[in-house]
Amino acid sequence: MKGFISVSELNEYISGLLAADEFLSDFWMKGEISGFSFYRQSGHMYFTLKDQESAVSCVMFKSRNKGLKFEPEDGLEVLVRVYVSVYPKQGKYQVYVQEMQPYGKGGLFLQLEQLKNKLEAKGYFAPENKKKIPEMVNCIGIVTSQDGAALKDILRVIKQRHSSCQVILVHSSVQGDAAPAELAEGLKLINTHGQAEVIIIGRGGGSFEDLMAFNTEIVVKAIFESKIPVISAVGHEIDFSLADMAADLRAATPTQAASMAVPDISRLRMEVVKYQQRINRVMERRIGHYSETLDRLMLKRIWKEPHILVNEKERKVAEQQERMNRCVVGFIQGSQHRCSLAMEALDKLSPLKVLKRGYAVVYKDGKILRQIKQVEIGEYLKIKFNDGNLGVQIMDKEMFLNEKN
Amino acid sequence: MKKIKFEEALKELEAIADKLETGELDLEESIKLYEEGIDLSVYCQKQLAQAEGKIQRLIKKLDGDIQVVDMD
Repeated sequence: MKGFISVSELNEYISGLLAADEFLSDFWMKGEISGFSFYRQSGHMYFTLKDQESAVSCVMFKSRNKGLKFEPEDGLEVLVRVYVSVYPKQGKYQVYVQEMQPYGKGGLFLQLEQLKNKLEAKGYFAPENKKKIPEMVNCIGIVTSQDGAALKDILRVIKQRHSSCQVILVHSSVQGDAAPAELAEGLKLINTHGQAEVIIIGRGGGSFEDLMAFNTEIVVKAIFESKIPVISAVGHEIDFSLADMAADLRAATPTQAASMAVPDISRLRMEVVKYQQRINRVMERRIGHYSETLDRLMLKRIWKEPHILVNEKERKVAEQQERMNRCVVGFIQGSQHRCSLAMEALDKLSPLKVLKRGYAVVYKDGKILRQIKQVEIGEYLKIKFNDGNLGVQIMDKEMFLNEKN
Repeated sequence: MKKIKFEEALKELEAIADKLETGELDLEESIKLYEEGIDLSVYCQKQLAQAEGKIQRLIKKLDGDIQVVDMD
């Protein structure tokens, strides 16, 4: 015995003690994270776990933290599965974390919140990616438990609203470890089959933990990737499930989901009939209007007594003739009047009338004699009187002085 | 008549009714539209009566095929 040992030997010795302790080699512990740091290079996590009075250094190696479902951060209460050992370089003991999960509901919410943010960034919840639920659905797909109340509710509502709607069911467990994969597979199966026009995925109400399957990435992804519109129906006690956020439509209960998915067939029938009546009414009014116009036209006298058209023309022709006649008669009468006036005037100028008043006309060789210079003494002339002629011989001739030249 | 969705048919039917009601069309146009409307409404009613009302279950077999099983 040297009487002393080296530092390394001390640490090794204590290390050995701790390793030999059955409890310290594998146990669960609760604490709040502080001083969290993540070394990107190595991939290891270093932090302190503390409670009100104490603190202890922790390390979580890369190989262990790879599968974490959440991101540790300061202030978070966690449950860790650990063993205790010595870090020889500093001579302090620390806990080596093998598993870690958020503690209690607060932890689950956090995990959910983080998953939500991740999926949101991928566009899984974006409104522009939502598909429209068709108004007229004749085939509906359902992914739920075949034994659950949810299925009974859904089938009952379908029967009420649209009894001839075809239903395609894929059974899936809705809670437990197998549920997420089965739910996702169910959605894929209905998509592959391809006949359903809308899919309801859901379950009846349950505790927060019961509904966790609907908060898993695999289910949310399957909902997002479904080519057929999806209605989620997860009975809630929390504000949301990620399945709801990814679904094209969210229903509060399976019953509501069914009435959203399936049309009320009698209402649609009435709607079609309503349109039929509308267009019929319009056409009836239209045609009624036209035939009324036609009737009104047919009422006119012209159609009943077409001869009045001819009569009118005849009357017009007669009128013109009459006018013409009047013109001609007037013209003739006027001419006659003018004629008699002229004759009267002529009559007044007649030489016979002049002879009657005591004048006579002298002719020489058959021509009227107008000047005595045209006759010589001894010549014979003829004098015409009113009642006859005289033959005379000129005895004497005396010219008036003013007539000489 | 070409195959269209029920919703489209219903929407078209509504549009036709609206158009007819404005009364701006001449008689020939409105008769043509009216005939279209009647065809559409008959088509819609047929769609409403078409489904079978079966309940079936889909099961994925080990070889990956889908099996359809009638229920009830």
